[in-house]
Amino acid sequence: MNNFMLSQFITLLRREVSEHKNLFIWAPVVLGLLIFVVDFLIINALTEVDKARAVEWLARYFDGGNPVDMSAVFVFHTLPFMLILHFCAILYLNTTLYQDRRDSSILFWQSMPVSNLATVISKVVAITAIAPLFYVAVIFVLYAVGILWLIFSGMALGIDVSGLGYMFISAVWSLPVVYLFALTSAIWLLPMVGWLLLFSAFANRTPLIWAIGVLVLLLFLEGFIFDTQFLSNWIQTRSDPDNFIIVEYGGLMDRLFSYDMFIGIVVGSILIAGAVYMRRFID
Amino acid sequence: MENIVHARGLTKLYGNFKALDNVDLDIPQGAISGLIGPNGAGKTTTLKALIGLCDVEGELEVAGRDPRGARHKLMEDVCFIADVGILPKWLKVRQILDYVAGVHPRFDRSKAEKFLATTEIPVNKRVKELSKGMVTQLHLAVVMAIEVRLLVLDEPTLGLDIIYRKEFYDRLLNDFYDGDRTIIISTHQVEEIEALLSHLIFINKGKIVLNSMMSDLAEIYTEVVVAPDQTQQAEALKPIHIRKLLGKSCYTFESVPRVQLEGLGELYTPSVADLFVAKLKDHRDE
Repeated sequence: MNNFMLSQFITLLRREVSEHKNLFIWAPVVLGLLIFVVDFLIINALTEVDKARAVEWLARYFDGGNPVDMSAVFVFHTLPFMLILHFCAILYLNTTLYQDRRDSSILFWQSMPVSNLATVISKVVAITAIAPLFYVAVIFVLYAVGILWLIFSGMALGIDVSGLGYMFISAVWSLPVVYLFALTSAIWLLPMVGWLLLFSAFANRTPLIWAIGVLVLLLFLEGFIFDTQFLSNWIQTRSDPDNFIIVEYGGLMDRLFSYDMFIGIVVGSILIAGAVYMRRFID
Repeated sequence: MENIVHARGLTKLYGNFKALDNVDLDIPQGAISGLIGPNGAGKTTTLKALIGLCDVEGELEVAGRDPRGARHKLMEDVCFIADVGILPKWLKVRQILDYVAGVHPRFDRSKAEKFLATTEIPVNKRVKELSKGMVTQLHLAVVMAIEVRLLVLDEPTLGLDIIYRKEFYDRLLNDFYDGDRTIIISTHQVEEIEALLSHLIFINKGKIVLNSMMSDLAEIYTEVVVAPDQTQQAEALKPIHIRKLLGKSCYTFESVPRVQLEGLGELYTPSVADLFVAKLKDHRDE
């Protein structure tokens, strides 16, 4: 890859972000604000005494602890963000190769010297690797503001808040784990990524119904013809949250370098290649 | 002169419908070529095939490449503007410049900005907020700032008012065309671009009806206003089209030497519009 190709690819990624600001940026920002407001209301409802007790307890709980061990609780608290991210990803993947065909802007994109392969790859990278960065940034702001607020209210109440510094470090430490978790989950779900893109590139209307409909049809045909449930079992294991929700580094590495992961990457890549092929000639 | 477009036996089927039927096409480099045909004749399909946006059967070479193999490579040398506003509506004008600057190795941003400065297009507006005329101007600004060999225009001025249309072609001719670049324009508003063209293609029902240099037309086609007592002689020379004109009969001949026609009445070279009607009528009767 030469310099021009790299800067071209960055332009493609930038395009995806600016086209899908709602999914990439506003969704996590709104969720972050919502969580902040709810927390604020809850804490505000506490009496001064309870508030002081809570801050004191937190400061003591985190004081001197190992941030790596302590970070798990912060990773766990980002689950609502991960849920929204996965939801946005489904929406994005299912419409991204469909929308520009519907509004004819595909003719403009195709009139530029950008290959379909680069376009589709940029979309996969945008949603699996770039979108989580925005989510993690919002999570960071949420944690930082929350902990700073705890520190100030603790200081106002005359409590020793030095333990909250550890809390902050643990929270920061959780961020790369959250990012890697999102990335690993995306790679684990690569077959789904490919499947959605394939029908996004194929369907002339309602790509989601196509994606689900064809899957249901395949499941039905397998049961009907072979009397087996191989496909449905495979999908079930793939989509079992236990298989891709990971809250610490060890589990992450085990998952990343597993045989199952490899199979998923192969299946996903084949489906993505199918989407690139579909995209090639649109009439 | 070298041909920038070379096609043999192009065929495109949509189900049972033949959008392109065994099309042979040669467009010389440096030509301003008009692709003229009624709606549904296959103009857009032809243009899309030339830039690799639709899969066709047959032999095809554009700017030295097969568009079906490497569209993205070809698009370094070719630009495309279509009738329907194809610029993404959600993009701001500035973002379009950013994008093209980022992906196109031959885009000169300052040139596009200079062009935009002569228009009333605000760079912070989104495409969907611009009028149709402005969107076309914007697209032209982008395209003019790209060093390309071939510009493909699919009904570029459809739905624009006369001022925008006139300005569009003026700019194209003055600021883009340099004698070496090739422009292919599809349209059914023949009269408007007749004066620009150096090459002419008629297409009807997926077939090429005429493919000729403008300068050769006068040698091939002759229009004769035939005096009433000469009609029998005129008909004997097998005109391709006859039309009535203020009580007189106007005969169009193809490949009949002028010497043979001189006795019949006044001779003219038919206008593109008249030739179009004559050729299509001729084609219909086949």
